[in-house]
Amino acid sequence: MNKPVSGLGPHGERPAPASALKITEEQAAELNARRYTVAVALHTVGSDWSRQVMAGLAATLGRHSAAITEVADCHFDSVEQSRALERMLMQRPDAIVSIPVDNAAVAEAHSRIEAAGVKLILLDNVPTGLMPGKGYTTMVSADNFGLGQIAAELLAARVPARCTIGLLGYDVDFFATHERQIAFLRWMETHRPDLKVKQSKFESKEKAGVAMEQLIDSTPDLAGCFVAWDEPAVRAMAALNARKLNIPVTTVDLGNDVAAALASGPLVGGIAAQRPYDLGVAAANAALLSLIGSPLPTWIALRGIPVTRENVLEAYQLVWHAPAPLQLRNAVRQRSHS
Amino acid sequence: MSDGITHPLEDDDGPAETLWAGTGRASKREDSERQSLAQILNLIRNGTANTRLELERISGLGRAIVADRLETLNQLRLIDEDELGHANGGRAPRTARFRESQALYLVAVLEQGSIGIAVSTIAGKLLLEHHEPLDALAEPAAVLKRLHTLFDWALEQHRKDRDIWGIGIALSGPVETSAGQPFASPHLPFMPGWEGLEFVESLVARYGAPCWVRSKIEMMTAGELLAGSAQGAHDMLFVDLSREISAGLVLGGKLFKSDQGRAGLVGHIAVGEDTTTLCKCGNVGCLEAVAGADAVARLALQAASGAQSPHLAEMLQADGEITAMSVGTAALMGDTVSAELLSRSGRHIGNTLAALTNSFNPSLIVIGGTMAESSDILLAAIREAVYRRSHPLVSRDLRIVRSKIGASSALIGLARSVADEVFAPNILPRWILQGSPVRNKDTEAVVAAIRTAVTRSARNLPPPFERTPA
Repeated sequence: MNKPVSGLGPHGERPAPASALKITEEQAAELNARRYTVAVALHTVGSDWSRQVMAGLAATLGRHSAAITEVADCHFDSVEQSRALERMLMQRPDAIVSIPVDNAAVAEAHSRIEAAGVKLILLDNVPTGLMPGKGYTTMVSADNFGLGQIAAELLAARVPARCTIGLLGYDVDFFATHERQIAFLRWMETHRPDLKVKQSKFESKEKAGVAMEQLIDSTPDLAGCFVAWDEPAVRAMAALNARKLNIPVTTVDLGNDVAAALASGPLVGGIAAQRPYDLGVAAANAALLSLIGSPLPTWIALRGIPVTRENVLEAYQLVWHAPAPLQLRNAVRQRSHS
Repeated sequence: MSDGITHPLEDDDGPAETLWAGTGRASKREDSERQSLAQILNLIRNGTANTRLELERISGLGRAIVADRLETLNQLRLIDEDELGHANGGRAPRTARFRESQALYLVAVLEQGSIGIAVSTIAGKLLLEHHEPLDALAEPAAVLKRLHTLFDWALEQHRKDRDIWGIGIALSGPVETSAGQPFASPHLPFMPGWEGLEFVESLVARYGAPCWVRSKIEMMTAGELLAGSAQGAHDMLFVDLSREISAGLVLGGKLFKSDQGRAGLVGHIAVGEDTTTLCKCGNVGCLEAVAGADAVARLALQAASGAQSPHLAEMLQADGEITAMSVGTAALMGDTVSAELLSRSGRHIGNTLAALTNSFNPSLIVIGGTMAESSDILLAAIREAVYRRSHPLVSRDLRIVRSKIGASSALIGLARSVADEVFAPNILPRWILQGSPVRNKDTEAVVAAIRTAVTRSARNLPPPFERTPA
């Protein structure tokens, strides 16, 4: 399945591919001479996704003599992110790369950035009221709508006709997870109208296990579940394991834990993988090009990858830019021999 | 307008008379109270005045009346009067603030190939928006069902027990301005299959609020004027380069609206000497047929299939289709065939805009729509043709820019347009004493009658989205 980007941007934009962000030799020379500084505000620095984004950002910025002067871990907290952005602005970096943790709650803090003459590159979300060219330069994200469709298709293949499936969604106003959830529901409505979808929500990844338990309690015939991303999915699967329920789960992001679970057991029905390293590269290129005055598309989108037990090793290499860990390779080998 | 400021979207004499929001029948004294309440609320809502002193000065009402009306508006939960304003010596005055978050509007733009929806405050500020592709050949009933699903989803995220005070729908095509009746579907001859669908009635029944239908080009132009590149522009031309090409006009700071709603069909102006390219309107050589997104995609597909462009051929193989956006991407990656296709399209569009520039002398042209996003080559070719072909007297101070707010422009314009209807000077006095345009017996009776009349099962629509009890 190598499908084009299927969603639209936060303001209805058509997607531009990351390959559109090319730095010419002449531009590279200019960038090397200017030695720009970039600050980064992430929702968390502790996830596999974040580590990969940072790796892509750092490698690309470093190649063009641009320094990352600060990396803020906002712990999914809007107050913490607003403070971090305020602090960053006082240090006057040339650009800030930020993943807004909420919409309305962090809008004011983000709106001050471009007003202060600092370029703002957004990842995955746009705060309420910010417009490209006025409040920010561009938004770089995965095709989250496409990721939701992939997760739906993977789950649909693993559940019987006329059953009930679950959607464990993120209860925060956030573009990327909204898109995944809407697309999941639309795909099911269009292609599997025989399935009933029951929804439950979690406010933070730590509460995903509790939300899963509630979903199990209220849905005795639950036959499968989609969880908005990998870390809460791992917690949701722990809740399923505790109840000795063996139903397939699909999710987004090929983190190490969920990749191992996909390779080793029946619980993970498939993963819609983002390419966070490439996302970091695209965000870095967007920041650099904007600093030397190159016009940019307002939404740069990277298509997702459907990952199953059969292609998990290749997909891991594509996503992580590294060979799969030994544990994952062994799990795949054992399953292929069994 | 009684508040003395310019409202770019409003008609000079307010919206057409309708029977919604009550009949407005009242005693002379009550009528006077309603009028002054409406006047003060609109002054605060529009940001014209927010202290008692300013309200007295601008409205011409006495101190006691202003104090009484503010107290009433507070009790009706239409304003807050808590914050302290700027002090000019002495005690800081209290300021009044419009409670824009107490209810919501639902707005949507339906295009060929996509749908965009938003929830806004009653001041027209967007709280959430979502856009997604839609099958261009989808049945109207399926589109309406999707619209209901997305509105329901948006309300799940943002409703918080709030009422919906109005709905706005923007459609690609001319919508008659007389479609000011918020409870009946307008005549839509340009949208096959939509005639008789009663989509306005279904939205009114489902959400319990009046619904206005507008033309997309007018709403995009309004959105650009309110929040986009054209903020504050006096004379402006907005051009939507999507599958259709149309234009909106702002003259003297106000959106131009023709009675029949059909102004701006610039895509059907004949270009060059083309006598062969057939347009869907039945003519040949229309700008849209020669240089629109479909024309660019069609020529690119020929280039991809005929091996003239390896870039496009590769894209066709990877994506299974070629769009104007993919032509833009290919041009950005150095494909000369794509670059030439966009230049050619830009030249045709620019020549047409030059004629309009000579006619209307705008100080700003904003280029929007999906094709505008495709490439800078297109924009450069448009600029070059406009400056070359228009008279130096009109092009001397002319700026040509690309829209930066995309499809959000239509949603922003719609939310403001709904606000203008709900708070129109001839409507607001009817409902102001109830504190809500939808919680009065006249509107509730109309909605109830529509709910009874709408045959949901025949349309295969989900059950109504119930309003939370007050």
